[in-house]
Amino acid sequence: MGLDRRSFIAFLAGGTGGILCTPVIWKGLDDISIWSQNWPWIPKLKYGQREKKPVVCKFGSDAYGVRVETAAGRPFVAQGNPDHPLSKGGICPLGAASVQMLYSPSRVKAPMKKVGDGFENISWDEAGKLLAAKIKAAGSDVCAMTGDETGTTADILAGFLAGLGSEACFLMPSESAPAARAWELLGGQGMPGYDIEHADLVLSLGADIHESWGTVVRNGKAMAADNAVYTYVGPVQKAGTSISAKTWVACAPGTEPLVALGIAAYLINAGKGVGMPGYDALKEFVTLTNPPSRVAQATGVSEATMKQLAGALLRARRPLILTGSEFGQGADALGCAAGLVLNVLLGRVNAKGGVTDIPFTAAVVNKAPDRRTLLARDVVGYVQDVAQGKTKPAKVTLVVDANPAYALPQPEVTAKAFEKSDFVVSFSSFMDETAARADLILPASYFIEAMDDAYAPYGSGQANYSVSPAIIDPVFDTKSAAEVILSLAASTGIDLGVASFEEAAKARAEALGADWDTLAEGTAWVAEMSNGSGVSLWNDALRALSLAKVPAGAMILAPLARLHLGVDGTPTTPFGTITIRNTELKKNVLCVQMNAATAGKLGMKQDDAVQVKSPAGSCKAVVSLSEAIMPGVVAMPLCLGHTVGDAFSKNKGDNVYKLLDVQREGGTGMSVFGNPQVQITKA
Amino acid sequence: MEHKESNIKWGMVIDLDKCTGCGACMVACEAENNIAPTPDSSNKLRTLSWLLVYEMNNGKAYPEHDVAYLPRPCMQCGNPSCLHVCPVVAIDKNEEGGIVSQVYPRCIGCRYCMAACPYHARYFNWFDPIWPEGMEKTLTPNVSVRPRGVAEKCTFCHHKFAEAKERARAEGRDPSHLEEGDYIPACVAACPNGAMHFGDLNNPKHKVYELSHKPEAFRLLERLGTDPQVYYSSKREWVRRQGDNYLTNEKTKGE
Repeated sequence: MGLDRRSFIAFLAGGTGGILCTPVIWKGLDDISIWSQNWPWIPKLKYGQREKKPVVCKFGSDAYGVRVETAAGRPFVAQGNPDHPLSKGGICPLGAASVQMLYSPSRVKAPMKKVGDGFENISWDEAGKLLAAKIKAAGSDVCAMTGDETGTTADILAGFLAGLGSEACFLMPSESAPAARAWELLGGQGMPGYDIEHADLVLSLGADIHESWGTVVRNGKAMAADNAVYTYVGPVQKAGTSISAKTWVACAPGTEPLVALGIAAYLINAGKGVGMPGYDALKEFVTLTNPPSRVAQATGVSEATMKQLAGALLRARRPLILTGSEFGQGADALGCAAGLVLNVLLGRVNAKGGVTDIPFTAAVVNKAPDRRTLLARDVVGYVQDVAQGKTKPAKVTLVVDANPAYALPQPEVTAKAFEKSDFVVSFSSFMDETAARADLILPASYFIEAMDDAYAPYGSGQANYSVSPAIIDPVFDTKSAAEVILSLAASTGIDLGVASFEEAAKARAEALGADWDTLAEGTAWVAEMSNGSGVSLWNDALRALSLAKVPAGAMILAPLARLHLGVDGTPTTPFGTITIRNTELKKNVLCVQMNAATAGKLGMKQDDAVQVKSPAGSCKAVVSLSEAIMPGVVAMPLCLGHTVGDAFSKNKGDNVYKLLDVQREGGTGMSVFGNPQVQITKA
Repeated sequence: MEHKESNIKWGMVIDLDKCTGCGACMVACEAENNIAPTPDSSNKLRTLSWLLVYEMNNGKAYPEHDVAYLPRPCMQCGNPSCLHVCPVVAIDKNEEGGIVSQVYPRCIGCRYCMAACPYHARYFNWFDPIWPEGMEKTLTPNVSVRPRGVAEKCTFCHHKFAEAKERARAEGRDPSHLEEGDYIPACVAACPNGAMHFGDLNNPKHKVYELSHKPEAFRLLERLGTDPQVYYSSKREWVRRQGDNYLTNEKTKGE
């Protein structure tokens, strides 16, 4: 059989048809497209039984519940916990990346000892022996600093130091210390609590409730409910403050709480407060010693505005006044007292939507000083005194969950103080400025790897307590800082009365009357509305405090706290770098924000490279024009400019803490810092 | 085969008067969708941010100045510009809810879709995704990792939609009639300031229905005819005015 023309054409046609109909080509193309994207270096997903486990996320001032989702026990993402009173489903930009930080390139993976300029890995056993020997040799000459304001770890640390005979155990600066002092002066028993959820007017004097003041996530949720009209008084405009329910009053940085004194004068004129304890003294203080005209001069807020604010407070059914520093630390007690006085004057103490008195917890660790005593100790003053030779340096310095070498005002002063201490120990999960300076690093387990707890973070409305269980085993050779300190106490013969962190937390739960099993499952305990009493309107000790003086024509710095840029203890996360704006960091240079009029006065324009100098230090920056900043003020974001860390956090801009100069508040002697006068020159 | 009809239109309403620009949504999105972190994110043409928060202002000097932040996910357009230009049919407009998604293995990386999208919502993997050592262990099991050379974008976390349907089936409920709150994308769940709302725009029982029908609700570049499924809302006229290209004397929507 030959192949004729007809059958040849039939063959071609049949072949073409067959090829078009066969799935081989299409399947082949599909496979090629899949396999050309299926490279061995592209990570594969891992599946498994899914669970959601409640823990407590403690970055910044806040401590709120999150749920960590796991697949076959492997944690992969953190979400807000709708059942937690301080989260209500919300989460902050640091919390949202918290699980991924478990494998941060900055994590310290094993104990390390300083050898020469570098570090050498050692075993926990060796590290424990080394530290115990140093502690024994130092006797009572030991100091400690911790950033864990809400946890029982601080009690264990403070108890250990007290057992050694040292009173030098400090908490890092926050809003709590001035608030505790102010509340105490007015006769409060514990800490002031703020029932933001039920207020119908929130007047925030300097307090940045969305970034740095108190329970940030809960504050946001409370404001989202639209129950309250919100006024912010401060140097930098907040988003959306031109709608009727949100207003902005520009005020010189650091002087915002003084506006409360001006408002108090109008409230007294309107007949408020008559007969309250301390009425006469307050009246004299706000109408004669510091009349509204003087307050207006110091703050830049006009008398008419203060009168208007007073009128709004009088009209509101449940007004609430919050005071604070724009960046969550460094404020004075007078300012906080002034805000509390307004609340007292308006009858807002122990009222729904007002100020409550949150008791300090009962002691659960032997020898540990109570929280009020700890809050009264001034870490900034101590470090400055050590650096200047006014106080004897401690032989051993223990740093737990804090980065003082970066985040105390004037880091070079902290560095000097650390140099004077013979042996610095850092209990840090991450390699930071403090760990890099330490002689010994005892890596702390991360929050999901070890049990932790939190009692009533500052700003809470009622007393609350949450326990954060360990949901995974440590992924590196790390241990819980609390457990390490407890075993150190045991080896130095100090009886703290608790054998483990869990025991201490159980004792805390029992003292509060909370059910341990419920707590351990991740459900927070919340107290009934507390009944503080005996709060007075004024106290003579406050009379000794003085108004801040701002020289006319001075350029004042307003540091900006932004959670997405990090907090004192934790820099931007790897996932946070996409949130950095070019008004905060431009081509890796820190931005100094100012309005066009201010820039014109200084002879500067957008993108000019400048040097910002304060009495404390100087920073490199680039001008970024923003009309959201009031005239005579420059704003600079904190938490950039790390010199130690990983590619995601290191060498990005400059550290604004270098510019913060420290003053002592007359009357309380507390260190106040935050709004130095600065000079800006072209670099 | 029976053709499945669905009346669902998943949509978002973002209240720009509540957004503080905190960035929690961006970070939550990055973690949920397995987007690799970048050490230097200053060059926004090279980074991947399915959700990007823009800063806007009214252009006035102090003290008349005002600021707003605008989170921009994919608009999940009813009439997606990206879909029509894709030469390899790698883009899908889902019939059940209207989510626009990318079929990664089909994508040939031509980037026509990126050029076509008027919202800059699409991103290109210029580099292989690299996580710091060990961090790949925290990848979610929900979203496949995309290699270099493909385009990608926000999907309204449609894996959570699939999960919600599965959950409904397991609980014996009708998966085509989900309750409000059954399916919430990661960014909306994360928002600590109550600015973001999510639900079925066609369902009067859902909050987004009411919010999207308010006079202050608007969509970005609405007049292009893309019919976005993301609504914004602001009581401020200047914010709404920046949402579209208005003629000088033309009234802003919602006035």
